[in-house]
Amino acid sequence: MTLILRRWWPLPALILLLIFPLVFAEPYYHLLGFNVFLFATMATGWNIMGGYAGYRSLGHSAFYGLGAYAAAIAANQLGWNPLISSPILALGVAVFAMLLGWAMLRATGAAFVIASIAMLLIVRLLANNFENITGGAPGLSLPIPPWPPMLSRLPFYYYMLGVLIVAIIVSGFLRRSRFGLGLLAIRDDEGKAEMVGVNTTLYKILAFGISAYFVALGGGVWAYAQTHISPPFAFGITVGVQLILYTMLGGSGTVWGPTLGAFILVPLSDLILFQFGGSPIHLAVLGAVMMAIILFMPRGIIPSIRGWQEARAAPRATHTGALSMEDLQRMQGGKTEGGSPSEAAAAEHERP
Amino acid sequence: MSKILEIDRVTHSFGGIVAVQDCSLSLERGKITGLIGPNGSGKTTLFNLITGVHTAHSGQIRLMGRSVNNLRPSQICAQGICRTFQITRLFWEMSVLENMIVPIRHVGLRALFGASIYSDEADRAMRLLERVGLDHLRDQPARRLSFGQQKLLELAAVLMSGPDLVLLDEPASGVNPTMIRFIMNLIRNLNSEGVSFFIVEHNMHFVMELCDYVYVLDQGVEIANGTPEIIQSNPAVLEVYLGN
Amino acid sequence: MLEMIDVQAGYLHGDNVLQGVNLHVKRGEVVCLIGPNGAGKSTVLRAISGLLIPSEGKILFDGENIGGLRPDLILRRGIAHVPQGHSAFPGMTVHENLLMGAYTVRESYERKIRLNQVYDMFDLLAERRGARAGNLSGGQQKVLEIGRALMLSPRLMILDEPSLGLAPIMARSVFDTIQRLRQESGITILMVEQNARSGLAIADRGYVLELGKERLEGPASELLNDPQVARLYLGGSTMHENDHNGDSNASHSKEAVM
Repeated sequence: MTLILRRWWPLPALILLLIFPLVFAEPYYHLLGFNVFLFATMATGWNIMGGYAGYRSLGHSAFYGLGAYAAAIAANQLGWNPLISSPILALGVAVFAMLLGWAMLRATGAAFVIASIAMLLIVRLLANNFENITGGAPGLSLPIPPWPPMLSRLPFYYYMLGVLIVAIIVSGFLRRSRFGLGLLAIRDDEGKAEMVGVNTTLYKILAFGISAYFVALGGGVWAYAQTHISPPFAFGITVGVQLILYTMLGGSGTVWGPTLGAFILVPLSDLILFQFGGSPIHLAVLGAVMMAIILFMPRGIIPSIRGWQEARAAPRATHTGALSMEDLQRMQGGKTEGGSPSEAAAAEHERP
Repeated sequence: MSKILEIDRVTHSFGGIVAVQDCSLSLERGKITGLIGPNGSGKTTLFNLITGVHTAHSGQIRLMGRSVNNLRPSQICAQGICRTFQITRLFWEMSVLENMIVPIRHVGLRALFGASIYSDEADRAMRLLERVGLDHLRDQPARRLSFGQQKLLELAAVLMSGPDLVLLDEPASGVNPTMIRFIMNLIRNLNSEGVSFFIVEHNMHFVMELCDYVYVLDQGVEIANGTPEIIQSNPAVLEVYLGN
Repeated sequence: MLEMIDVQAGYLHGDNVLQGVNLHVKRGEVVCLIGPNGAGKSTVLRAISGLLIPSEGKILFDGENIGGLRPDLILRRGIAHVPQGHSAFPGMTVHENLLMGAYTVRESYERKIRLNQVYDMFDLLAERRGARAGNLSGGQQKVLEIGRALMLSPRLMILDEPSLGLAPIMARSVFDTIQRLRQESGITILMVEQNARSGLAIADRGYVLELGKERLEGPASELLNDPQVARLYLGGSTMHENDHNGDSNASHSKEAVM
């Protein structure tokens, strides 16, 4: 029974999510659900670059904002409904991201993170200044959705749920593909990956583009739901930070981690805002949550659970020396147990 | 073409320090060649030059007649030269089998959305793992392997891309005598199957017993070359090790 | 003064770098350990100063077995260890580094006396006492490290490859310093050197270590004349073949050669 549950659990979960807005019929819940799916989608996208490849961009809000503005401008100038145009416009943002990536990805590690922040600030500055296109600081308004007011947020709920499903499927395929393996190799040891033949530059650019796509798509739909966007909100750094936070809570580098993180933290932040709203306590509580994550489950929920399962199943540490394998490698001429490989393997099982 | 690798008057320096000076050597195809010399003699720099980590400031490096000077490491690997590291370098978070799979080249959409491991590749990987006695550890993360096992995994993984020339950086360091014997036999067997080897090693018994030909480097300059017997009886070589 | 009897030690359970080392250092002697890479030379020093616990054998210092004692206790018994590479505190001045050497000395006047002794012996340190250690050259830092070790008034000083990483000129000055130290203070010294000729040039006696055992021993001036040295360094030595079967035949072979 548990085996079936473990494999097919998304199905009943999906059914629950489909029924949810009919049971909880207020627009508040629809909007909440929409937000959860929105951030889950974008976090899943971020995770492809930040989790699989290990390149943690702090400036992903740039793509969010670009997606939002693209959808808004297309809606106002061309009459395109953002629900239809966003998936297409997001492709344009993704291409832009790949071009940008070609320059930015020469930086690694901390330098890349800083470059990503710079990218965000530059785009925001451009949005503020190209007033005739972007409406400048006051921002842009979008047309009101054409469906009857009674439905309110419901279409957004189902639309975003659909997008989330697509995002998870794509992320899952990538994770289990050779490309995904290459990204994980880049995260593990980029120099080594390069040495064994992985085209690291191409892979990184591609991952950057794919992750930008989902964030831009989210931005476009969000703009429509908000009906008004302006630079500080479209290009705020908090969106990017939230993506990282949700991903890290659920488990960076896993397929479901970002979604799990969003499902937990989006309603939680909302609840906290509700209880303590407006006052600094709400931020303090969020901070406490972050600290708890770092202290008790630094790798996120899913990897931590897997780690505990692994630890229970695995044999105990095979030696009591003060040196770990890592230490040994750093010393020259350190010697180890061994023998022929089969002797070594047998020895590992014999030790207390 | 009987020379698989030619290093032609290569010079390379870091800052003001010359690491390799006007160095010329050539490796015979199908043979095991050794590179020895005291610490700091430029052996690792030479390896790094061959594998594209650095680009030589002057001189030529040719693989089977083709210049490989300006290629990036991933391209050098595609050309058929692979290497191991003195301090084992593996993908620690990945399983043993995954470590074997990453080196296999893959292109196109199949790489994006296909499976990460195909059965023929898995078969090839498992056969190599059996050869080094690690097949039973296929799903273990690499960081759980013992030091000797890690060295074997690195060697097995390097063979996955079917290289013509394998550079081994101190394959015997930190390893006990039984394992050293195993590694030596493995190298001999692979060599008889046509793989050429270029080995940097401090363990003289290993080098002299295994290698067909040996080059000696001191302070970036090649000071002697020959069969092991010649090297062992060359007083200049002993001088280099005893200092001044 | 120091005697190692059949010492086995290693970094990881089950496999030992040292396979039964026997050596001794008499009071006032300078003994140099040489041998090829991976022979276990540094491991010998670490076993003596307590950084490594021997799995077998005894290390006797003036008759007391110090094998397995904590490093700070071994320090207090009068053994000072100058490790490989840089170990001076680069952010502190020469003066502060020297004071750190006498960290375990309680009385400040005692510390002052030793400080002056060190300054007397090493003009270099006296002149640059206010300089940041990180600004000194490699050779000067090594002299500082030796001076720092002297702050404990040790009876035995062990030096791990003092010339490592130094340009020939600086290495030369370090060796001169060690020689002067020995002449002026009569301290007992055990050192490991990669540069066999230079190391033996300032020593009384030497050992050649290979594959975890001492293989040759003799007066420093004659050690390198032994033809076995070539074979130990360049392979082809017949000495170790018996050891692969597990019995320790080193002394056997040694006698055969000597």
